[in-house]
Amino acid sequence: MKWITRERPKIDRIACPWLIKRFVDKDAEIIYVPQDEVKTQAMQQNAIPFDVPDVEYTHYGSECTFDYILKKHSVNDLALKVIAKIVRGADTDQHHIAPQASGLWSISAGLSYNYKDDQEQLKQGMILYDALYSWAKYLQHEKHTQSESEKLLLEIHQKFLNAKSGKKIPVWVEELKSMIQDQIDTSLTLKEISKQIDINPSYVSREFSKHFDQPSFGEYVRNLRIEKAKELLRETKNTLTEVAYLTGFSDQSHFTRIFKKHTGENPSVFRKRLGKSNSRTKG
Amino acid sequence: MKWITRERPKIDRIACPWLIKNFVDHDAEFIYVPRDQVFQKAKELNAIPYDLPGTEYTHESDNCTFDYIIKKHDVTDAAVLQMATIIRAADTDRFDLAPQASGLWAISAGLSQLYKDDLEQLAIGLKVYDALYAWAKFAQQEKHSWNPVV
Repeated sequence: MKWITRERPKIDRIACPWLIKRFVDKDAEIIYVPQDEVKTQAMQQNAIPFDVPDVEYTHYGSECTFDYILKKHSVNDLALKVIAKIVRGADTDQHHIAPQASGLWSISAGLSYNYKDDQEQLKQGMILYDALYSWAKYLQHEKHTQSESEKLLLEIHQKFLNAKSGKKIPVWVEELKSMIQDQIDTSLTLKEISKQIDINPSYVSREFSKHFDQPSFGEYVRNLRIEKAKELLRETKNTLTEVAYLTGFSDQSHFTRIFKKHTGENPSVFRKRLGKSNSRTKG
Repeated sequence: MKWITRERPKIDRIACPWLIKNFVDHDAEFIYVPRDQVFQKAKELNAIPYDLPGTEYTHESDNCTFDYIIKKHDVTDAAVLQMATIIRAADTDRFDLAPQASGLWAISAGLSQLYKDDLEQLAIGLKVYDALYAWAKFAQQEKHSWNPVV
């Protein structure tokens, strides 16, 4: 099929063609035209218009066209979900929703500046998204520093620097930590909790990774939830629905999905392996 | 000149060639070899070894080799200095230093996984740094949001 959108792509109009070619229609032909010609050309060329207003393949609410394609074609791949968030963050100027969004934006804006031919830019962009996919699929949790001893040295060095500068933990950080801990079973949002401590959410979001050992508020809360869920699975006989509820997940299937993504196994398997009812005797 | 370092580059060993080629030595040729052969090959080929402990061009306290080249060759372009922070952050796992570092790391790690030929990876990587430079130099103030003019 032919797919058509407006010219001078940056994020979504490169990411979507990549998604279409790799997961929906591998022979797709992508056409870029001036904005006011998209609809007429789409009819003339029998092409599917995308990422322009008032067509099927477009933004809905806070989600971008990339999200819509994933949904519409039920592409189920965890790595793509990760990429979707990065794309959405970069495409809608909400860089806080994924730590990789700012970098993707910078490199994409730079490519768009360097390549005035949209097709040429698409070619480079395809490589970029292939790389991002390969990272999301295989390397997401890998750190760069190579050897353990190197890592250890860096850690000690960092500690030393922090000690030397007499690093003070701001009061709001302690406050935030205990509030998150207290409300981990509710649907916490950065906005609400920032309001509770009376600090601007975008400031909290910006400063978050400096004070918590996680790249973002979302990651931090998710980790806490998973840790608490593990504890409940090990130590109690609560049903999975109850555990999901007690750890702030909206429902059991969402809980199961996130738990599996983080730990690599289903909660029921985890419980079978480590739960109390199944205490392995050494015989 | 020839410049030599260990194989399987990720960040610094792609970013440094970009910096060398654009700001230090336009005709530079880059060679990647296994770690234990760098010094011997450097002598044989009369090449400058870099990004390896025991060479002049290497990490210095918490700065990476990219920083050292900037200092040594007096590069003063503000866009390059900004790139240096991003590269240092991505290269030394200190993503808090620059918001762009996590994305650069993800893309670079992915490229390294996709391209097993280091020189091929370098060719693509140079374009990534060209883009980062263009952004830092010309497009930095630009914001992107989806409000197409109707």
